[in-house]
Amino acid sequence: MQRRTFLGLLGAAGMGAAVNKTAPAAGVKHFEGYPDSYGVLFDATRCIGCRSCEAGCNQINGLPQPDKPFDDLSVLEKKRRTNAKVFTVVNRYDRIPGVAGAVFRKDQCQHCLEPACASACFVAAFTKTPQGAVIWDESVCVGCRYCMIACPFEIPTYEYNEPLTPRVMKCHMCHPHITSGRATVPGCVGACPTEALVYGKRRDLLAVARQRFAAFPDRYVNHIYGEREMGGTNWLYISGVPFKEIGLREDLGVTPAPELTSGALAAVPIISAAWPVLLTGIYAINKRREKIATEEKKQAVAEALAKAKAQAKEELDKALAKAEAEKKSAVEREVKKALEEAAKAQAEAEAGKGQTEEGE
Amino acid sequence: MDKKRSSWRWAGIVVLGLCCIGGLAWAEHVDPKAAMVGKPDQITIRTLAAFQKLELPPVTYFHDKHTNALAKDNKGCDTCHLQEGDQLSFAFKRRKTTQPDEIQDLYHRNCIGCHNDYVAAGKKSGPQDGFCRSCHNAEAPLNVVRLDAGMDKVLHYRHLASKNIVGGSGEAENCRACHHVPDPATKKLVYAKGQEGSCRYCHQAEAQADLPSLQKASHEQCLNCHRTLTNRGLQAAMPLDCAACHGAEAQAQLAKKNQGLVAKLPGGEVPRLKRGQPNATLVRYEGKTNGGPEGQGASLPPVPFNHQAHENYTDSCRVCHHASMESCSTCHTRGGSDKGGFVTFEQAMHRRTAEGSCIGCHQAKQEQASCAGCHNSIVQARPADTKTCQLCHMPGAGAVASPQQKAALAESLLQSRRRGPDPFLTAKLPDKVVIKELSNKFQPVEMDHAKHLSALQNGMKDSKLANYFHSLPGTLCQACHHNSPAAAEPPACVACHAKTQGVAAASAAEISRPGLQAAYHGQCMSCHQDMGIKPVATACTECHQKKPQHAALSHQEKE
Repeated sequence: MQRRTFLGLLGAAGMGAAVNKTAPAAGVKHFEGYPDSYGVLFDATRCIGCRSCEAGCNQINGLPQPDKPFDDLSVLEKKRRTNAKVFTVVNRYDRIPGVAGAVFRKDQCQHCLEPACASACFVAAFTKTPQGAVIWDESVCVGCRYCMIACPFEIPTYEYNEPLTPRVMKCHMCHPHITSGRATVPGCVGACPTEALVYGKRRDLLAVARQRFAAFPDRYVNHIYGEREMGGTNWLYISGVPFKEIGLREDLGVTPAPELTSGALAAVPIISAAWPVLLTGIYAINKRREKIATEEKKQAVAEALAKAKAQAKEELDKALAKAEAEKKSAVEREVKKALEEAAKAQAEAEAGKGQTEEGE
Repeated sequence: MDKKRSSWRWAGIVVLGLCCIGGLAWAEHVDPKAAMVGKPDQITIRTLAAFQKLELPPVTYFHDKHTNALAKDNKGCDTCHLQEGDQLSFAFKRRKTTQPDEIQDLYHRNCIGCHNDYVAAGKKSGPQDGFCRSCHNAEAPLNVVRLDAGMDKVLHYRHLASKNIVGGSGEAENCRACHHVPDPATKKLVYAKGQEGSCRYCHQAEAQADLPSLQKASHEQCLNCHRTLTNRGLQAAMPLDCAACHGAEAQAQLAKKNQGLVAKLPGGEVPRLKRGQPNATLVRYEGKTNGGPEGQGASLPPVPFNHQAHENYTDSCRVCHHASMESCSTCHTRGGSDKGGFVTFEQAMHRRTAEGSCIGCHQAKQEQASCAGCHNSIVQARPADTKTCQLCHMPGAGAVASPQQKAALAESLLQSRRRGPDPFLTAKLPDKVVIKELSNKFQPVEMDHAKHLSALQNGMKDSKLANYFHSLPGTLCQACHHNSPAAAEPPACVACHAKTQGVAAASAAEISRPGLQAAYHGQCMSCHQDMGIKPVATACTECHQKKPQHAALSHQEKE
């Protein structure tokens, strides 16, 4: 096997381990939420858009006073989002096909059973409490704001105007107030004049939602938003109009966010442990091969030199021998020529003598 | 030289760019076809589709365009439609559907031939030979709104009372002009008195073996008669073109005209159609039961039914007699049958979601604003209670033999229904009720009890239906004083709805039952909203007067 092919296969195997969802180390189990956890059921058919929930939230959390008072309903003309000073907003949805009036929806942290924000946080600043709330610990946060990117509901916000101690801000379902005994229900729920918001155990809320569907089959869309969306949330919605009409995403699926990344992330330890060994090994192999190659090269050069030398000598010898032979044959030829000339001269001399003798 | 070429190139680019922008602007300016609504005269000709896969797209044909063009040359319907006596055939140039190649040839020869003639005469004309795609246009035709040309009660009466109907001679004889049944012996269509029914009972949307489709049957009958009368010189609003029957505008005009005509009739009502139906009858299951002989097995007492009154509540007989004039139990058997779509007799009377069932129709009436305030908050899927059942299934309506006895018993039972005034409403009732919930933030609410009660009473004053079904003592009170037995002094709201605002509920049952504040708000607000009565739900101070010392109370100062 070629070295290149081998390394290619090795790399592919490593990547395969990284993306394999069923990697045993990933430990993905089906989690149905903490038993007896609490939540809130929002009923869009009961919400009148009075903003009392916003006021209740603002008061219990000691948030800054807004520019416009809470009984000014003109703010509903624009779609609003939560921000560092506002943990919850009510939005009005007009022009819904087949609906004469407006429908309202309150927006805040959905308190996912398996929160995306928590899975994106590498310092574990987020905690899913057994009571149901998703809370944030400011003492460990490093301010990376990955949580804000991870959240499919666009809920965590950041105190951009706090230069020294910026915090991630979002609804905590009044977890600190309820555990401290300051309140028994979240501020928004306590302020709702129509019980469009009710607080209770999540499984009771699911039962209540289904009771309402059964009692008024024509009034509701038969679906509890949050029962399974993103793996389930502790904040639940029921509505008389399709959920997408009141600004709730219907494309999220039922897979909890952490499950989407846990497979790949679980491969990180394996890779961090295996790669140094692997790379060192590859380095050593490379080094050794290089050394051998150098030696082989030296030897080959020496051999080549010797061979060339021998060949040159042989050629020289041949040339010398040839030169010798040529020299010899030249001498012979010259000697022969000289002899012939001498013989010719002798013959001519003998002939001349005879004539002279005749002429005399 | 180079410079010259370059400037030409630039000029070309600029022109192209301008064309693109212009094109885009034009595309935006011109409405896309989808947004346009076609007139009812737009017809799609796809006759060959019944025989084979179409080689070319169907032809979109504008009928009015052709009749108008022909009218200019004093040419009439018989230019395209074969005529036999007074009767036109409304298929193009033929009486019967023949072979596909014959039909194709018929259309091509006649359409193109006529177009050619017009061109030869130097007139404006349509596509000729070789311009296949001008007629077989693949582009989606305009979105046509062609309303059903219904014959409602008033329009039926106008035809019945007409002195001009072809083949009729006034009210007594007009029926035979339209209503027919096949004579089993001669297979010819004959009039059968007392057997008249809706055209749709026989003529379906698609043609059956020997039966023309509803469209063909009604076009031939209505249009031929209208045409004959028009030719006789009776021009008064005899609809002939597509839009006159199927257009929204024409239908609205007709409805208005009909309304005016009805107002002039004696009693302000269309006279009753007589077809041998009873004035009153006992509705009970009369067919065979699945498991045994007729009538076996106990059932609820039959329902005395005021047939005559219900004739006036509906637009046509077809509202209830949706498939035939026979009795309901012919198809809707007790156990359900294939013929009745497995809708049982009980379901046919009670199904909440069916337009034609008793309960379905009565419930549809509850959607109007004067009823919706109370009825929207009554649990839809509630179990039946005996007292309510007995309002229709009156005890004492036993078995009777003859139809006459049945009608007599039904009428006497209907007579006995007249009840006296509600004893709870004649008792001394509070004029005003003071609600002190939330009085820490606002002044107590003074609810005008008498005003609310009279509003409900006025809302149902003219409705026989509402008056009868609210006749059980205390029914009206129970719109607000719900879930406890009717009583002269119903329990206070707080007896069931605790002041639990801001308190966590321990169970699903506790969550389901609203706290006091939500109970008040839920009932008041939903009723006001459904009845379209002010104040709106967020106008707090319309009900809760501001406290003088807390004039500037806002949400922040709560608690």
